[in-house]
Amino acid sequence: MVEADERILLDWDALEVGETFDTYEYVLTQEMIDTYRQGVMDPEASFPTISHKVDVKQYNAKYRDAGSVNARCAFSCYNPPVPGKRITVRAWIADKYLRRGKNYIVTEAVSVDEDGRLIDRVITHELKQPTEVGKKWGG
Amino acid sequence: MGGLVRNYAVGDELTPLVKEMTQEAINLFEGSSGELGPSQFTDEETARETLGTEGTVASGRMSLSFAIEMMRRYFGSEVFNHAGTVDLRFLRPVRPGDTVTFTGTITGVGREANGSRVSVEIKAENQRGDTTAVGQGSAVVPNAYLPQDE
Repeated sequence: MVEADERILLDWDALEVGETFDTYEYVLTQEMIDTYRQGVMDPEASFPTISHKVDVKQYNAKYRDAGSVNARCAFSCYNPPVPGKRITVRAWIADKYLRRGKNYIVTEAVSVDEDGRLIDRVITHELKQPTEVGKKWGG
Repeated sequence: MGGLVRNYAVGDELTPLVKEMTQEAINLFEGSSGELGPSQFTDEETARETLGTEGTVASGRMSLSFAIEMMRRYFGSEVFNHAGTVDLRFLRPVRPGDTVTFTGTITGVGREANGSRVSVEIKAENQRGDTTAVGQGSAVVPNAYLPQDE
């Protein structure tokens, strides 16, 4: 049985900059870290939090839309996460803008572990018309 | 990897980082968060429906990870992992089969309270010479990692 999608259909015009999402928590396991390091082909990769996309996770839990493409991403390193520690993420809408007729949403997230160590900050600019990728770069 | 005591000067180049993108690597990256459902990164049909592309693409966050690796290798993990930044704009899709080369050039060195902020211009190019991403990075290098005469 397919569950009904109860998420809110995105109304970009109505979306409020500053909207804060529910806190997101997860435990980063050693297996997650190992898999991330294999994926990026870097045995010393220290911020597997990158692949968790925590900055848009709660947005995607609340809103549905046509999808998105990552146009820009800024990442600040503070302390590498420790496996087994619970990580708490606060995320919010940092900005939105219209460029060349296309809609963008900027999300920002800060991760802190259960000991209060600041882990990282990520700011992502997402283009909300993902088919632009196929139109421009197709094949 | 230990932090290096050395001078930093505008124009200095970081050691380039070369990555060969495979679908397996993309799948591992996406799966490492526990998200195993089909996406534009892991499933061709989803990519066609969502992006209008013929095949999958790699997440920009993989390029972000590679740029961070290049910076960490240059500055040392003791420095970069605690005071490093990367800000990338993604200009073209990276696809399975692509070989992407990341390069960096120091564009500024400025004194701060406890060290120096070193700014880096970052660029990523595929095997055809197309630029896939550009941006900036930085690291605040503590005085302990700078020559004493600085």
